[in-house]
Amino acid sequence: MGDLFLPEVARIASMRDETPDTRTFALRLRDDRRHDSFSFRPGQFLELSVFGFGEAPFCFASSPTRPDSIETTVRRTGQLTNVLHTLAVGDEVGVRGPCGNGFDVEAARGKDLLFVGGGIGLPPLRGLIWNVLDERDRFGRIQILYGARTPTDLVYKDELRMWAERGDLELLVTVDRGESGWTGNVGMVPTLFDKTDLRPATTLAYVCGPPIMIKFVVQDLLMRGFAEESVISTLERMMQCGVGKCNHCAIGHCYICRDGPVFNFKQIRELVE
Amino acid sequence: MRPANDVHGRDPGASRLLAKSDLVSWIRRLMDDAEVIAPATGAGGDLMFAPVSDPEAVWLGPGNPLQPPKQYVLPQTDPIVRIERNGGGVQVSSISDERTRVIFGMRSCDARGMAYLRRMQATDLPDDAYLRRADRVTVVTLACTTPCTLGFCVCCDAGPFARDGHDVQLVDLGDRFLAEGATERGRAMVAEAPFRPATQVDVVKRDELEREAERHFGDESAHLGAAMRRISTRRVAEELWEAMSPWCFECGGCNFICPTCYCFSVKDRCQDHGWERCRTWDSCQYSAFTLEASGHNPRERRKDRIKRRFFHKVSAQYYQRDGAVGCVGCGRCVQTCLGTTDMPAVVAAIRKGVWHG
Repeated sequence: MGDLFLPEVARIASMRDETPDTRTFALRLRDDRRHDSFSFRPGQFLELSVFGFGEAPFCFASSPTRPDSIETTVRRTGQLTNVLHTLAVGDEVGVRGPCGNGFDVEAARGKDLLFVGGGIGLPPLRGLIWNVLDERDRFGRIQILYGARTPTDLVYKDELRMWAERGDLELLVTVDRGESGWTGNVGMVPTLFDKTDLRPATTLAYVCGPPIMIKFVVQDLLMRGFAEESVISTLERMMQCGVGKCNHCAIGHCYICRDGPVFNFKQIRELVE
Repeated sequence: MRPANDVHGRDPGASRLLAKSDLVSWIRRLMDDAEVIAPATGAGGDLMFAPVSDPEAVWLGPGNPLQPPKQYVLPQTDPIVRIERNGGGVQVSSISDERTRVIFGMRSCDARGMAYLRRMQATDLPDDAYLRRADRVTVVTLACTTPCTLGFCVCCDAGPFARDGHDVQLVDLGDRFLAEGATERGRAMVAEAPFRPATQVDVVKRDELEREAERHFGDESAHLGAAMRRISTRRVAEELWEAMSPWCFECGGCNFICPTCYCFSVKDRCQDHGWERCRTWDSCQYSAFTLEASGHNPRERRKDRIKRRFFHKVSAQYYQRDGAVGCVGCGRCVQTCLGTTDMPAVVAAIRKGVWHG
């Protein structure tokens, strides 16, 4: 890797508002040949440059089985993301990566899969979900449990409807607080566990969301008989380089950007500051 | 401790002599082909590693500049990517520094620091831009025959004579230097005139000086091995880190003057027609080092940041990851710390389980 820090110039191909503060950007590398040879695994991330404002890590929200565009879903939170949200279709950004280990899709073959997402934690799972759905016959039962603070905060609303209509997966959605017109579940994500039947022995659980949600969901899953190795999550830290050099994302002697961001719960428990 | 050199087993061509009267002309000759960096007294009276314009001003006496020479391989602000905006859109290109440099008069501790940084940058995903720059740096060390005030290189096996990271080592024999080529490049540098072959007597003298220097450094002042055992097995009480934390002023000085600290951030700096993306030194002792955009900060407490610094420097986990302990015993953190959270003090506290402030 000769140019560890050199980004590839990409154009914003399209944008879609998910919530009032969250937008999905579809990117296409400016060089077609580079775009076609760009490959990644779900769960990996890219370093996205907003030129003049630096770069920040975002997970791939799209599946490698749909290589037309590289998608990432970004909430407006800080300096860089605020500027990113002012960009228009056709504007140029930088893409560096893929970084990190990603989900082991091969290891999930033949297993039942449980996806548990909270809020902005669905995007990293979405890439894996579409990957799995595009190779549906290679996997067992698929359950998707998703929760957000309010119905407005649910991301990928169209896709949630699409998934709900599919007969080959089970989708349960909940919100912490309902809004007028909301007829669905109200309650934290773990309340969904009692509304479905879990098969801990044959299932891999992918959990992604805010730290507090991860904590309660993982506790619950372990109590219900999931093995620590079968509960898989992605971790986040303040990151700069994405290539294991700058030390910002270190936990103990592990680097989230190199050894992660995907870890199973047994590995997470062994990560000590 | 490395066993004393076997005089008879040594490569006879590796040890050469340089008359002190030939030193200036040798430096001048090095300046023909390279930027020569050496300790010199700056305008304010401080000793610093600076590009040499007058070889007579090179300081080879006692003392080591407070700033290590790492800035010549890892500059404080290091442009890495050029981002240009023109009619056709954004153009990006890597920036690399391919100047040929000789760092002259470096001490063994700093040479170990250079070796540490190189190994770290070369492993896992190699940073080729770093390696291209570092590979064009030739290191000429001067062995420490008298101990410095605060150094404890003997505790880190990083001195007082050079172990690694150098191309040529000079040993002061009074009216002449013994010059040892440690690499192919170094051996070639000392192969020709004004260098001449060393005699057995010179080599014996050199070994005596090394033994004497080690003796003068005295007893071990930083028991890194004992600290490593405790810190690697998480047997350092949280209260101990807590007790230390009022003694750190979060100035980042220990990081910036440390020959092995390499943490950085990446920033875009405005330039004509675009930007330069730079890496800039950062400090794990700053609370914003781990501050996330959400406001969450996993190392918000100062004690966790001190613990982090010493875990990275001294733990067996990092010893395996980085290939060496992250301390070269130069003593600069002792000199620069506004409080007392320097390496020997913290190592002693970890070993004894008590913090005296």
